[in-house]
Amino acid sequence: MAQVAVVTDSTADIPAAERERLGIEMVPLKVHFGEETYLDNIDLTPEQFYQKLTAFSGLPTTSQPSPADFFEVYKRLADAGRPIVSIHLSSAMSGTIQSAQLAKSMLPEADITVVDGRSASFGTGMLVVTAAELANQGASAAEIAERVAQMRKNTRLYFLVDTLEYLQRGGRIGKASALIGSLLNIKPILTIDDEGMVSPLEKVRGAKKAVARVVERIAADFPNRPVDLTLAITPGFTDTARELEERLKNTVNIGRQRVVEIGPVIGTHAGPGTVGVFVLPM
Amino acid sequence: MGRRSLNGAEWAAMIMTGALHLSRHVERINALNVFPVPDGDTGTNMNMTMKAGVAELERRPSDEAGKAAEVLARGLLMGARGNSGVILSQLFRGFVKAAAGLHEIRVAEFAAALQHGVEIAYKAVVKPVEGTILTVAREAAREGALMARRTDDLFVWMREVQRKAAETLARTPDMLPVLKQVGVVDAGGQGLVFLYEGFLEYLQTEGSAVDTRPAESPAASVIQAQPAASPEKAEIALPHAPVQAQIATESIVFPYDMEFFIRRTSSSAPFPEAEFRRALERDGDSVIIIDDGDTVKVHVHSRKPGDVLNLALTYGELTDIHILNMRQQHRGLLDGQETGSAAREMEARQPVGVGSGAGGWSAVEAGAGDPPLGMEAATGISSPDSPWPAQTVAPARVPHPHAHEMAPYGIVAVSVGEGNAELFRSLGVDVVLTGGQTMNPSTEDVLQAIEALAAEHVMVLPNNPNIILAAEQAANLAGKPVTVIPTRSILQGMAAMLAFLEDEPADVNARRMAEAAEKVVDGQVTKAVRDTKINGLDIREGQYIGIMGKAIVTAGDRLLDTVCGLLERMMENGGDVVTVLTGEGSDGEITQRIADWLAERYPDAELEIRDGGQPLYPYLLAVEQ
Repeated sequence: MAQVAVVTDSTADIPAAERERLGIEMVPLKVHFGEETYLDNIDLTPEQFYQKLTAFSGLPTTSQPSPADFFEVYKRLADAGRPIVSIHLSSAMSGTIQSAQLAKSMLPEADITVVDGRSASFGTGMLVVTAAELANQGASAAEIAERVAQMRKNTRLYFLVDTLEYLQRGGRIGKASALIGSLLNIKPILTIDDEGMVSPLEKVRGAKKAVARVVERIAADFPNRPVDLTLAITPGFTDTARELEERLKNTVNIGRQRVVEIGPVIGTHAGPGTVGVFVLPM
Repeated sequence: MGRRSLNGAEWAAMIMTGALHLSRHVERINALNVFPVPDGDTGTNMNMTMKAGVAELERRPSDEAGKAAEVLARGLLMGARGNSGVILSQLFRGFVKAAAGLHEIRVAEFAAALQHGVEIAYKAVVKPVEGTILTVAREAAREGALMARRTDDLFVWMREVQRKAAETLARTPDMLPVLKQVGVVDAGGQGLVFLYEGFLEYLQTEGSAVDTRPAESPAASVIQAQPAASPEKAEIALPHAPVQAQIATESIVFPYDMEFFIRRTSSSAPFPEAEFRRALERDGDSVIIIDDGDTVKVHVHSRKPGDVLNLALTYGELTDIHILNMRQQHRGLLDGQETGSAAREMEARQPVGVGSGAGGWSAVEAGAGDPPLGMEAATGISSPDSPWPAQTVAPARVPHPHAHEMAPYGIVAVSVGEGNAELFRSLGVDVVLTGGQTMNPSTEDVLQAIEALAAEHVMVLPNNPNIILAAEQAANLAGKPVTVIPTRSILQGMAAMLAFLEDEPADVNARRMAEAAEKVVDGQVTKAVRDTKINGLDIREGQYIGIMGKAIVTAGDRLLDTVCGLLERMMENGGDVVTVLTGEGSDGEITQRIADWLAERYPDAELEIRDGGQPLYPYLLAVEQ
């Protein structure tokens, strides 16, 4: 039995080096600045994207990969005789998974398991990385899918945005919509809930307090246990991101830490200055 | 030989005399505020509450004492403003019990009514405090019970009750230290004594049952004047204007405010009230049904007035039909010209008869027994420039199941100042009721705001200690689940809103919100309205005073020093976030200096300054951990 191939999309924000190391296949979404179209995390690095974002007068838009994009990747892997586990951006936020499913239906003979990660950025990314590690150890597609579903329950993710405007404009605001236009300096602590929607956990006054609360929450979520922790930042640490990293280091038992950059598509919807923490028990 | 009994009309006349006497002393009662703050309003609240009760008595006069008592109780309940108003409304519910089914009441019933009223009022208040209106009412009722065994002369009996009330009032400073410290008697108790004085005045006059109404009583002026020209009525209606102006026109789901009477054709069978109520509530809200046996009063907000009337017709003849479009009324308020709000209100309230499309019944039958209603109705019908025709078409909305348009939560907050209202709205509050330090909204105002929301559960933030009871009363009357979060200040209310999460169930939110409010250390800065000595501070009229929670902690001639002194006290146990809401009397330069002082003194605290726009309080402050 050939090794299971793990496929994801560009919004998982897995650094290219890690993708290559683990042999993860990635189908990019697209970012449009007016007439110009870029492949997410391929044609456009996060750094270039945020520079363009500042310079561009309007707002970029994004689009999901076409079924053909997925078909091409699935076909190549299936032809090599490999079963496929394909893990993607929350179906509540994007139609990406629909394209994947359409592509799967075009290959009735292939063994393809499409998984709704019900998350975004490295929230999907950590599921994908674990899946790839399992695949490398020889796990079957069914085992991987089951482990990923289980893992989804044990992870925690929190993120802070500079402003809710971007989430609102992209329609990805979910249940945080009530906070739009708030005149007080309110920082909602956001997560992605079980349905894969952006959801506020609590609202606090000021970024400092928000950082403190995120750290408190993580410490309470994983008491006395080492954790695998990923910080997702927009290029060039913001003050908030730096303070968050510092405080986490002092408070949380971190077994393994990585920092990833939030890519163009997620960046389009979350806005500059977004910072996320993705935690799983080790 | 004194009077031994009162029928419904006479009893009502006595109540009106009491209300009139009270209204003459509003300012005196207001001046009895314990704190020398400019929002002493116990007198105003009690007066407005009594006026609402009297207005209802005028709308539905009855010779039956039992019925009159019910009518008054309903009016007081809906019109209750402030804690003293709510307690007053509870005290008078004693008459409903004591006079039930009776044509006349005598000393025995009167005495029982006072007793019952005290019991009901004590139950309504969570933590009854002695040395207040409650004590005055209780002692007077006790005396009433004793005296009832000795005399059946109402005047003699009332004289003793009134004497005991006044005597107890004089002793309130001995019971409540804060009164003694400040050197005043309890304001609410004083209001009650004035009411009793008015009752006594009425009982003293020898008159027949026909000619009992004092010429200058509010009753007379309302009935004799055209509704639109009645100053008394306008005064009662006035506070509704700001309330409704805070609601979005579209949010009025049931736009037709209907009121009518069903004259039962066969009153042998009891009126199926529960069944009728269910039918109305299927596509309406604010249902009030008062079954008097042969007539049934119905009030409902509906989408389809025709359906409601057709249904009601199956139970009997309909009279005194009033229907008004609340959306139209509301739009009128929103883009109202600069006419006096009272005039606008009256115009909007102008009742309009319904065309006879629904059946063969005549649109308006001015019932002979209800002169005020009949007259209003006639005015509406004959009005040539009624804007109604353009608006009569019901909105072309396909009725869909209730659950689909229901938001999980609706939130009502009481606040004052345009900036503060904006802040509340930005935090997710659906309806901001104007009120607080200067004008407390009535139970009915709060109830209307609650009913206007198409929400499964409504949260109410009173944001003032004197509005909590009225809000709770409104919650009890509402036709949907309502939770009152007992917030005592605007900034506590804002903290509560921050803790609110739409996904959480109501009990969780109620707890979260109350806890968040509790954690706020709040401060207010205003000017003393009189000299006083309190908490070791010697305060002169016109000086600035800083109030932390319930206590005055600083006073001085300079605004900046008073604010900083207050903030220092508020920060004693630490604090991360300081919020400042500027109001009338604040000053940009002083505000800047407060910010500089804070940044220097507490460099770690985050400061937020917003323009609240509240009157009388230049600065409202909050410290949060």
